[in-house]
Amino acid sequence: MSRVVEIPASFDDKSFEQFAASFSAGPITDRMVFDARPAQWASPYGLVGMLTAGQAIKEAGGPRPDFTVPAADDVRRYWSRTGFFAHAAELFDLRGKLPRIKPDEQSDVLLDVTPVRASEDVHAVVGKIQAGAARILTHELGIDAKATMGFAMALSEACQNIVEHAGTGGWVAVHAYTFRKRLGRRVVVIAVSDGGVGFRRSLEATQARRFGDRWGDAAALEAAVIQNTSRFRDPGRGQGIAGIKRYLGRWSGKLAIRSGTARIAIVPDWDDDPPMTEHLAPFPGAQLQIVIPAQEKSAG
Amino acid sequence: MTQTIRVDQLLRETVQGPYCDLVTRSTGRAVRTSIQQRLSARPGSLALIDFSDVGLVDFSCADEVVAKLLLEPGTGTTIVLQGLREEQLEAIEHVLEHHDLVALVHDPASGVARMVGRVSPDLRTAFFTLQQSSPSTVEMLAQRIGWAVERAESALLSLVRLRLALSGEEGFVVPLAPEPLS
Repeated sequence: MSRVVEIPASFDDKSFEQFAASFSAGPITDRMVFDARPAQWASPYGLVGMLTAGQAIKEAGGPRPDFTVPAADDVRRYWSRTGFFAHAAELFDLRGKLPRIKPDEQSDVLLDVTPVRASEDVHAVVGKIQAGAARILTHELGIDAKATMGFAMALSEACQNIVEHAGTGGWVAVHAYTFRKRLGRRVVVIAVSDGGVGFRRSLEATQARRFGDRWGDAAALEAAVIQNTSRFRDPGRGQGIAGIKRYLGRWSGKLAIRSGTARIAIVPDWDDDPPMTEHLAPFPGAQLQIVIPAQEKSAG
Repeated sequence: MTQTIRVDQLLRETVQGPYCDLVTRSTGRAVRTSIQQRLSARPGSLALIDFSDVGLVDFSCADEVVAKLLLEPGTGTTIVLQGLREEQLEAIEHVLEHHDLVALVHDPASGVARMVGRVSPDLRTAFFTLQQSSPSTVEMLAQRIGWAVERAESALLSLVRLRLALSGEEGFVVPLAPEPLS
């Protein structure tokens, strides 16, 4: 009998925890069925998270899981347009009817769900994002055209974390949408996820002794995100996340990284996420989300 | 002798694909290695590293190309970065400050080189003065600024050590200094 992994109806970074708890409720080698029938919406974070789960099962040698597609036609169409199903088909046995979708260059999907395995993939992602990002950032978010470069830099550094540290491949997606619940404004969201070794294992050899008893997923995230440390002894390392933070600081953006059982966030004024959350359900690798909001028009 | 090294050409030779962005550490390492090979093959007093036609420069690549190029002993060639756009320069400044380094950047408006990164006030003063009156000896510089000879000597030797100035038979010069008025 298969174990059901429930896909939240509205799948964002918050409800990801519900998904992670369902995914980790039993051994990864269980026969599983991912049930997305109730799904009404998924952020890029949710989409790359589901692929990461499928990838982790495959790499652990577990049985190929089933995936029941969303019941709602518009949701299936949106997920198709993001490229999700094309990649999911490599990891899951898809159950349900899938629409055929033509690419739409003016859509809110700035970057389809894209695999990141090597340096060349980062070049491709950065090359592909720049025209669409300029359109969205400038016209919809009111961000200076020059900031497009900074956006692409942040994306590049986020993807490089997979290439440099994960020890396996991962996924990236970039979408624009209106963030009704927490902000009431348009946002651009970069989501990057891998099923690799995670921050704790990546940093263990160089950082664990310094943290002593405190060492764990949260301490590893603190070392990487707050202290800008890296597993490499090269003093030039650790600048990627520092660069992302610098860019986000300028545009009131938010950075959140989840790895293992902990999640760290650099929280702007508009959000009330806790800076650190521990004792979460375990999930493979690392998941990073960057949110850049539309800029508030100054009065007068 | 001055040589110009076009980074976009090295990038095309390095990356398989039609990409013009200087991103990722592995790309940066390969581009830096190519630059170093060119510097070794044609040693000279000045190399202009030209970023024209390069797209994005991310922090990791800026670290691999610029910071590590300046950190490694190299051939003693003085390096000036040119053709940089504002946002590219911002990434480079970030990594220079991280490493406590200084680089020379060609300023297209004035045509001269300016220092970017962490620079002490003495080095900045010595560089600026030398730019106005190259070549200068230690004594000439000390007199012009009103410093003790030891202080001027220390500043000039630091500029040479950091490959921000050159020492020759006629004295110290900075790269791309304006021609003296006759």
